[in-house]
Amino acid sequence: MQAKAAVNQKPGNTLNNAFASHFAKSMFLSVTALAILSFIGTRMFTHVDLNLYGYMVGTIVFIGGFFYRFIAWGERPPTKLILKKGLKLLFRKSTPKTSVEHLATYNFIWNRGIYRWTQHVLIGWGCILSCFVTFPLVFGWMYFTMDDNGHYNIIAMGMKVMTVPADGIIANLSYNALNITAVMVIAGVCMALYRRLKNMQARAEQKFLYDFLPLYMLLLVSITGLALTFMNIFLHGAGQPAMSLIHQWSVIITLIYLPFGKLAHIPFRPMSVLARNYREHYAEQGMKECKVCGDQFVSVEQSKDVVDVLGVNAIEFKAKEGHHLAEMCLPCRRKYRIAQFSGFPTHEVKVKEANQNAKG
Amino acid sequence: MKKRLYLELENCIGCRSCLAACTQCGGHEERNRNYVYDVNPLVNRQTMPLMCLHCENPACARSCPAQAIQIHETGAVLSALVEKCIGCQNCTIACPYGIPKFDHEQNLMYKCDLCIDRTKDGIPPMCASVCPSNTLQWLTDEEIENKKKQFNLDNGKWVTSMPYLEGETNVKVNLPGILQGITKLF
Ligand code: HEM
Ligand code: SF4
Ligand code: SF4
Repeated sequence: MQAKAAVNQKPGNTLNNAFASHFAKSMFLSVTALAILSFIGTRMFTHVDLNLYGYMVGTIVFIGGFFYRFIAWGERPPTKLILKKGLKLLFRKSTPKTSVEHLATYNFIWNRGIYRWTQHVLIGWGCILSCFVTFPLVFGWMYFTMDDNGHYNIIAMGMKVMTVPADGIIANLSYNALNITAVMVIAGVCMALYRRLKNMQARAEQKFLYDFLPLYMLLLVSITGLALTFMNIFLHGAGQPAMSLIHQWSVIITLIYLPFGKLAHIPFRPMSVLARNYREHYAEQGMKECKVCGDQFVSVEQSKDVVDVLGVNAIEFKAKEGHHLAEMCLPCRRKYRIAQFSGFPTHEVKVKEANQNAKG
Repeated sequence: MKKRLYLELENCIGCRSCLAACTQCGGHEERNRNYVYDVNPLVNRQTMPLMCLHCENPACARSCPAQAIQIHETGAVLSALVEKCIGCQNCTIACPYGIPKFDHEQNLMYKCDLCIDRTKDGIPPMCASVCPSNTLQWLTDEEIENKKKQFNLDNGKWVTSMPYLEGETNVKVNLPGILQGITKLF
């Protein structure tokens, strides 16, 4: 494989050749980007908050794990196909709507149940909002200064964006942003844990490392975060340094875990938009007709892609009639299998399949 | 002792208990993931069940861009992980038997998981637990071997998984009787 890849490499692609692997390149580029952004954001490193140093290291380790995992994943034939074709189709008219529904409002989770939706909005948005606040602070892209007259300046990327009264609503919201999001996450995680107790659905298939660890980590992050606030306000900062370390540690562990466990869906999920675009676009291009009944059941392109992907995996489903099994619609494919067992061509009998949905 | 699902197709009487039982398994959200077909619907009442055969090299999982279909250590090919499935439906096109179902509203694939919360502890899956006609059974390899001896009529008519399937599967399928003109003694 290695040798073949080297032979096939296009000449003149110097940037790619300079690095031992995609991994090294992506890693280098992101760390450089982070450094440059921080340099600008902190006005040449004059506003670095050294308390947040651990987070910086954590983030960099996280980026390493992230690329390691994602490059391996992107190399899988079916993944590569959807990524490649999906990215080309990124600018469809429906993209903004699909993105909002898939990535922000989670309409499809709503259809799985209002409980599950509420739970996910609390956890998901709680985390996303926290990141919006934390990361700019850690890397110095945003910080606050105080004027003499009791006004706060919010400074983003070295520029003053807003000046607000120190006891105003916006100021209060920004001091408390992380407390609010922490409460959201705690509520959401509790809902998830409660569901595991009550609902057998959530209980099946669960492994500690995959299923519980991310929930406990999110809980730990949020609770230690809230504890920090509590100590500041009610204990005049007593115990703060220790708690701060525990909090930092829990965030770092969560970040490092993220690319490998359940939370890996966060960076993976935008692919669902690519997949939707891929399906919509190629459905408009032309639909595949079932070799048996003629029903249009999938786009010509996807049918071909799946057959190719199976081919790469050395899976070749040839029907003795000459076509690939993937070229039959689902009911016909099932009847075709019955026909292989019985010897009677069930799929050729022009009768719609009996109702296959039992109502529990 | 490891047991597997074993299908003796022609025993099926079409009661669809397996479909109803499937809806009741933990994690199935009251939707069944298996099928029962009339073999020759306009002529007679013979039926046969069809379910995921849990391929050893599952096409559904190989075609999934999100790695949402995991293979359990027991060999069961699980339903899509709810947080990973991106709704591309590759798996439905890839499966040689047309097994995975897709819910468009939920943007989620669901398929037989061999009632993994039961079978991982050696409890038979729901369908095999309720089948009144011994079409669906939960047997050890030894028991399946004995069946083979019992039905082996020295005429090459032991019809089992291969070559009637596309590849090796963890579920074993068999058709030892009437449809081949062989009288079967229970
Ligand atoms: C990019 C947007 C995101 C999408 C599209 C998404 C999608 C999903 C989906 C479809 C599920 C399965 C829910 C179910 O069927 O019950 C899920 C579960 C989950 N998501 Fe997200 N997610 C996103 C962002 C996030 C973020 C930012 C977090 C924060 C850490 C998060 C944490 C979780 C957790 C912890 C679960 C598991 C819930 C459980 O185990 O019951 N997600 N996500
Ligand atoms: S029968 Fe179909 S759904 Fe079941 S494991 Fe094989 S390919 Fe996957
Ligand atoms: S529909 Fe879901 S489970 Fe099926 S191939 Fe696509 S992502 Fe995988």
